[in-house]
Amino acid sequence: MKLSARQICFFLAAVAPAGKLVLMPSQLVAQTANDLLLPVALQILAQSALVFAVLLLARNGRTVYGMLSDMVGGFFAKAACVLFAAFLLFAAFVPLVEQKILVQSIFYDTLPSYVAFAPFFLFAAYLCAKPLASLGRVWDMLAPLFLVGILGVLLLSVGNADFGALLPVGAAGAGGFGRGVAYTAGWFFDAALLLPLVGKFPYRKGLAWKGALCYLGGGILLLFFLAVYYGIFAEIAVTQLFAFAHMSKYFSGITAMGRIDYLFIFAIAFVMAFYTAMPVQAAVDALTDAFGHRRVLAPTLSTAFNAALLALMLAFNFVPSATVSAITQRAFWIFPVFAAGAPLLLLALSPVLNKRRERHAR
Amino acid sequence: MRAKRFLRSFPMKLWIILAAIVAITFFSNDFGLVDIQKTAIILAAGIDRTADGFSLTAQIAVPKGSDRTTGGTSSVEIEGQGATVSDCISAIYAKTGWVPKLVFCDLVLLGEEAARANAFDALDFFLRNEYAPDSCLLAVCEGTAAETLKATSAIDDASSLALEKLFSDAAKKSGRVMTTTLREFAIGYYGRSASGYMPYVRMSSQSGAQGGSGGQNAAGGQGAAGGQSGQEMIFSAEQTAVFSQGRMTDVLTEAETFAFSLLKGNVYGGTLPSDGITLAVLRNDGSVSLAEEPTLQATLSVDLKVRLAGRDAPSSLENVAKDSVTEEELAAAESALRGAIGSLWERCAQSECDLFNLRRTLYRRSAAAYGTWKPLSQIGTEIRVRIEGLR
Amino acid sequence: MKNVNEKLDATAAAMKKLLPAQDILQFSFSDGTGRQYVCFFADAITDKDLLGEQVFRPLMEYRGEARAKEIAAHVTAPEVRTERALGKLAAEVLAGNPVLLWDGMDEGLIAGTKKVPARAVSEPPTDVAIKGPREGFVEDVKLNTALVRKRLKTGELKIEFLTVGRRSQTAVAVCWLEGTSVQSAVDGVKEKLSAIDIDNVPDSSYLARFLSDRPYSLVKQVGTTEKPDIFCAKIAEGRVGVIADGSPIALTLPYMLVEDFQSSEDYFVPAARATFTRFLRLFALLVAIYLPAFYIASQLFKLQLLPVKLLLTIAGSIQDIPLSPSLEMLLVLLVLEVLNEASIRMPKYVGMALSVVGALVLGETAVSAGFVSTPAIIIVAFSGIGLYAVPNLIEETSVLRLAMLLVAGSVGTYGILLLSGFVLIYLVSTENYGVPLAAPFAPLTRRDLRDALLKYNLASLKTRPAALGSPNRRRQK
Repeated sequence: MKLSARQICFFLAAVAPAGKLVLMPSQLVAQTANDLLLPVALQILAQSALVFAVLLLARNGRTVYGMLSDMVGGFFAKAACVLFAAFLLFAAFVPLVEQKILVQSIFYDTLPSYVAFAPFFLFAAYLCAKPLASLGRVWDMLAPLFLVGILGVLLLSVGNADFGALLPVGAAGAGGFGRGVAYTAGWFFDAALLLPLVGKFPYRKGLAWKGALCYLGGGILLLFFLAVYYGIFAEIAVTQLFAFAHMSKYFSGITAMGRIDYLFIFAIAFVMAFYTAMPVQAAVDALTDAFGHRRVLAPTLSTAFNAALLALMLAFNFVPSATVSAITQRAFWIFPVFAAGAPLLLLALSPVLNKRRERHAR
Repeated sequence: MRAKRFLRSFPMKLWIILAAIVAITFFSNDFGLVDIQKTAIILAAGIDRTADGFSLTAQIAVPKGSDRTTGGTSSVEIEGQGATVSDCISAIYAKTGWVPKLVFCDLVLLGEEAARANAFDALDFFLRNEYAPDSCLLAVCEGTAAETLKATSAIDDASSLALEKLFSDAAKKSGRVMTTTLREFAIGYYGRSASGYMPYVRMSSQSGAQGGSGGQNAAGGQGAAGGQSGQEMIFSAEQTAVFSQGRMTDVLTEAETFAFSLLKGNVYGGTLPSDGITLAVLRNDGSVSLAEEPTLQATLSVDLKVRLAGRDAPSSLENVAKDSVTEEELAAAESALRGAIGSLWERCAQSECDLFNLRRTLYRRSAAAYGTWKPLSQIGTEIRVRIEGLR
Repeated sequence: MKNVNEKLDATAAAMKKLLPAQDILQFSFSDGTGRQYVCFFADAITDKDLLGEQVFRPLMEYRGEARAKEIAAHVTAPEVRTERALGKLAAEVLAGNPVLLWDGMDEGLIAGTKKVPARAVSEPPTDVAIKGPREGFVEDVKLNTALVRKRLKTGELKIEFLTVGRRSQTAVAVCWLEGTSVQSAVDGVKEKLSAIDIDNVPDSSYLARFLSDRPYSLVKQVGTTEKPDIFCAKIAEGRVGVIADGSPIALTLPYMLVEDFQSSEDYFVPAARATFTRFLRLFALLVAIYLPAFYIASQLFKLQLLPVKLLLTIAGSIQDIPLSPSLEMLLVLLVLEVLNEASIRMPKYVGMALSVVGALVLGETAVSAGFVSTPAIIIVAFSGIGLYAVPNLIEETSVLRLAMLLVAGSVGTYGILLLSGFVLIYLVSTENYGVPLAAPFAPLTRRDLRDALLKYNLASLKTRPAALGSPNRRRQK
């Protein structure tokens, strides 16, 4: 097995939340104002359930492609994998835009050359070409790093938060809540990221529960972060695009010691860089499962996808807001179709698959 | 075979190419960077209204060279004008050739006129600029911000640093100054109460006469040598400008500012002057609450634990040893404080400045409660002041 | 002619042909029966007194049969064996062991009276311990294995000698604990050593390159030590040790990065102190790698990394420096590397002059002349000191420091972050003999964390590192 169950849990608890700290909070506030916690709580609960479903799929030790080819044959299974990889590449776009504007904001004092972001694709290409075992080990290192980063930021900022700003509950109304849920779907597709990993880690008793609880744990941390974020920025929260990088600067010790909070911010940004490459990694995995020849195909696909994404990022360089809103506010429905539909469908069909396998075995 | 050999050596070749690219960008020294030598580190920005828009005076830190025998921070003030604050910054860039960097801008000073118009016309730039910190302090000054920033301070080489000393946490605890940051002011401005406050800065010459000076501030330790007029100025910020809908509507007196501090519960170790005595505040509980039933009524309460700090007449040794304050003296102090709080409320009510965020409190309570909101002048008040001495 | 012939003249001539060098001496004598003997030995590396006392004198009085077994029994030297192949006999002569040939026998006799000049056991300069053993390995493989055997008095300690190097014929000892070391690693090491085909093995570092799974790796793949106590501790944990003749540096495999943050002294001081110093080493190493890079990035791209007062001080210092901050830092760093290189290689008696030149001329004068700034010198000095907190990783960290500096000067803080990402991926994906380099952190092995950066009390370290996969996990009850 390439990954261990612990590494999956680490990813769910302390790497997945890193991808939701840049644009999502402010986009959410634009729809729900002080009611931002409710849609996210719902998303977290739904994703926890989906993570549970995906991890249940891992019980039989087969990859998703393996399961699909048993059910519908190799050709359709390959087609499904290609479609799923296309979705993952589509889903990769928002984290990439986030990474790009984040880089400009927190790593530079003046607007840098727009190619300053380009080295990221080199990094992503290298990461995506690496075997899954490396990815799992990276999560082993990133999880504690993220926890140190986020807890550091929260510790420095919680004293400035006015949690009363979250009141009154329900002010956004059903419409705001609905929009909040819909428009954050673009950030909650972690169950889909897990699908290509199915069959590559050992299923131990209770892993599905553990995984779901880990995701829930990470989700609670995210909710606390959002509460602190709104508590600090309240009415101007909507303007705070990289809140995690700004929240801690109001800590009174900062003035005397300089921006020590950058240690924590960079730790989070470091984890975020890995998470940003995660959808592409998952796409490469899905395709190499389907077509084999991982040693050659993985570096080739990784290079090709990252080069294509770089070209797209350069093409959409001056329309970041429009790009993000097109994906998260118009095409948001695509995310649940794949992130929820795919695991649930596979889970529903797994009894059929099991019966077939039993018949074959006999 | 050749292809295989190429593929085997490809990663190494790729690393060499990458290393070459990095080396080229390193030595060409141009990857969109603006290094420290091409940068104007703005310590403070002063904004004034002009007929055509704004005038921004940037106090720029000037490195002292390798001679570190003198302390302090040298600075120079550069003025830029334009229709927007952004234009002013561009004008400074054009004048100096330095790229203005606001990341260390810890103070934004508004001239009185800029404050009386909507302050957010000027502050909007700082709020939306991701390279300007919204943790910077805000203040209004008497006259123009340019004059104040250009003044030679008797306290520090850079006037902005002297002003920041006034707004320190220690000063805040004394209760004599009420500070605010851009973030807090913006939350107030965009919030339900649409109100806020800033410290109101006055300057006076050490000899007592008011006035300003301009030009470059001298290097540390050299006193006023660089000032044009040579007159050293002292700043004070014991008054507080209050804002409604972003406009400065009034200025709180020193006593009202202190009462405001006490209501916020900020004071520790500050002194409360009363009839012939001065009390030091050891504990300060302050709150402003709002009751809806039967009609809207605000309760402004201050609960203090004090000790005697000084008298205007000599005491017997026995009394000094006792360090006691009489009930009558405490009652007089309570009465004086009640008066200051009442006056503070009146001033806010007149200018419809919801300084205590009562409207926001009501909104947070419930939508139904929020519907009962009335103008401040129609809200009843109850002032509770309790001062206890040490026993 | 490949083997020893019964005709002594022919065999002696063949041997002489194989060993034409002038330092190979030939001594002829006859025994009590008048049988002729010829002895070949290498001058200077053979103990001639011993050879005379234990071989020649007994044989001169010998009157028995010409059979090798009987002659060997008559010779009083403790280490005697016979050999037919001329090539092997010649190799023994070259190794210092005299070879005896006589008429009427198709075997030669090898007497173990080698006397190789060797340095006395002393404290190694690279691994000084304030507390703990002070013995260090020397250049003699036999002496080194003796030092190991002295510490591991168990039959489970296996020492197997291999010969590596076409011309150097270097003796290499592979040491492991039977039943504790992973057999696949032992086999792997032996297989790789046997496959080495080079002329000369001047030092064990040559072998390290061949023993690595990734020979081009930036990060070293083989542990090194000069101290027998560390060597034995590593073998006892389940590693395989390699000692090469002519090198005082022994190798241990599989290697984990965390080993270099541990020092032998950590086990002789209280656990809390050991934990503190390990974190201190990590901190020093990170400072050494990142400080120059962040210093540059803070001046070029992200001023906020520094408090404003410090920034203004730096700005004042660099005001009149003709070079850009990144070039200035690169220059100072290169000067440091040159000084470092020169101070190691330079004869001791000019060392003082070098210090004067380095500190006064290059340091103070360069600053006062305005070539470089004081902060740059301070940063590089601090970084240089930090590097030596983990001396076994100096080669890797100095390259990494330079790489970080280059990306900091070209891409800025984000470049540092991404390069760190590359390094992380590289470290976690590197394995040697199936053991991950970044273990026990990646993959995380909770139990092994007790002796990684944290250092638990010895009584708590009941098991061997799980990452090594030893078949005998428990090391104490």
